[in-house]
Amino acid sequence: MSSRTARVRSSDAPGGGGLAADVTVALGAFTLDVALHVAAGEVVAVLGPNGAGKSTLLRVFAGLVPVDAGRVELDGAVLDDSAAGVRVPPEQRGVGMVFQEHLLFPHLSAAENVAFGLRAKGTPWRQARTQALGWLAKVGLSAAAGRKPRALSGGQGQRVALARALAVKPRMLLMDEPLSALDVEARLAIRRELRAHLEAFGGPSLIVTHDPVEAIALATRLLILEEGRVVQDGSIDDVTQRPRSSWVAGLVGLNLYRGHADGHSVRLPSAQELVAATSAHGAVFAAVHPRAVALYRSRPEGTPRNVWPGTVDGLDAQGDRIRIHIDGPLPIVAEVTPAAVAALDLGVGGEIYASVKATEVVLYPA
Amino acid sequence: MNGRSVTAVRSRSSMPAGMVWLGVAAMALLILPLVGLVLNTPWARVGELLGDPSVLAALRLSLLTSLSALALSTVLGVPLAWLLARHAFPGKALLRALCVLPMVLPPVVGGVALLLAFGRRGLIGEPLAQLTGITLPFSAAGVVLAETFVAMPFLIVTVEAGLRALDGRYEDVAATLGASRWLSFRRVTLPLLGPSLGAGMALCWARALGEFGATITFAGNLSGRTQTMPLAVYLQLERDVDAATLLSLILLAISVVVLVALRGRYLGSA
Repeated sequence: MSSRTARVRSSDAPGGGGLAADVTVALGAFTLDVALHVAAGEVVAVLGPNGAGKSTLLRVFAGLVPVDAGRVELDGAVLDDSAAGVRVPPEQRGVGMVFQEHLLFPHLSAAENVAFGLRAKGTPWRQARTQALGWLAKVGLSAAAGRKPRALSGGQGQRVALARALAVKPRMLLMDEPLSALDVEARLAIRRELRAHLEAFGGPSLIVTHDPVEAIALATRLLILEEGRVVQDGSIDDVTQRPRSSWVAGLVGLNLYRGHADGHSVRLPSAQELVAATSAHGAVFAAVHPRAVALYRSRPEGTPRNVWPGTVDGLDAQGDRIRIHIDGPLPIVAEVTPAAVAALDLGVGGEIYASVKATEVVLYPA
Repeated sequence: MNGRSVTAVRSRSSMPAGMVWLGVAAMALLILPLVGLVLNTPWARVGELLGDPSVLAALRLSLLTSLSALALSTVLGVPLAWLLARHAFPGKALLRALCVLPMVLPPVVGGVALLLAFGRRGLIGEPLAQLTGITLPFSAAGVVLAETFVAMPFLIVTVEAGLRALDGRYEDVAATLGASRWLSFRRVTLPLLGPSLGAGMALCWARALGEFGATITFAGNLSGRTQTMPLAVYLQLERDVDAATLLSLILLAISVVVLVALRGRYLGSA
């Protein structure tokens, strides 16, 4: 996936508004190379493994990390253009950012924190304070206006941080793991509120997260970043049903194979063959849901075209189902009921046959 | 003594007896001279001595020069600490070592170095005198220069450590909220730096106030012009021990005040 041709570009920016970026940033041995359009009002979740460059991407858009090559445009205004030598400093970009730990200024009260950006823009103190109190009311924290950050809970702190970022009316909103520092209960509540604020925001928004549930709950589009490159950029359905990397497949719990299709038959690099009900030609991904994998103690007979022997490598509980990791010529994960585990007497090291119906193999171009 | 330090002492009661006695000896060495100073204070003559014009002049000059040195050290030292803490440039390690060298340099050597640089025939002193007619040695300005030379490194190292410990992301937040670098420095960095800056300034001032070697070498010992309190103490010791003792006590009291102001750093956290 490291070739430049494998880079996925999203559709053209609608109407010139929103964010249009095509940037390359080199940080030591790591290179971030991303092309991206985010329309006004669109919420894009940036997902990816640790070190994929998610936070760096946000810092680039915020102007905190310089672009080595490329261009960033927001609502038609150029923020970065390496060819023209343009680099708008962070304080003039109109890009709001919410950080993982809320990073409220510890020496200022909640209201002063929210008023900070307004004061920086030259809003008179009295007016800034009124607006700040208005924003605190919007996030349900009127009572905490005079409190210092250390007297706020994690959830309250994150609400103040959001109010602080929105108070300056940014043209774009960036959030770097906004919920990950919160406990489970606060996370659910803030997530619900955040969704409402994002819907009301109106500009392009980017949320970095490592939690797929959070991404699906908040965003309309998912951007998968791996090793500094976009490996997939699409709707939630697209990404969850047609993952384009093994990391995404693991995230959404699918078996994913990459191979060469010739009609109904897909040849995998391991020389195994996978038979699908649909036909395709050329490089393809083949996705198989773990629930579509049937397990047998002895080689099954009858309709399934795809049958492989294997040994049980591990078992883990997934809700009320059990996931069986099977090692063999074609490593695969099956999801079965606890009753099936008992009936098949499945244990680590056990010999097993896995089969998948051709109709359960989903093919899409790689 | 609060409860915590009592338990802390108790938990270490298994220390070998030899260590305890050596520790007591160290305490005696450090504390007894101060006790002697306090016991020998000529309380009966306090009024008369404080009215002595030369004592008053030394007190006034010391306050004036040490506060000027503190101001100069802050204005110049904070930006240098900032450069050292936040920016990478070639030769930085060497530059830092040179900048804090006066902390370990014998002050009299500092005084000689200042004479060679800022003296009438010095590297900078000569052109400065020719161009502006200003000569620094043997003047109050020379005292300020000597005190700054010796005391500013204390402020620099303290503030630099504070800047390093400070989370730079607060400045990122300020920038994304539209604050210019300067506004962000004033309203975010400086307040967050407060405790380190306070400690650095207190150390710097205390060192400037007590400065002797570099001052006497570079600025001399002219009563009313360059004779600061430590110099006056030294001179009075041969003429009037009572006056020397009283001046010493005043310096001791100021040191205690500074130490109390720094208690979070050097006391307390036992």
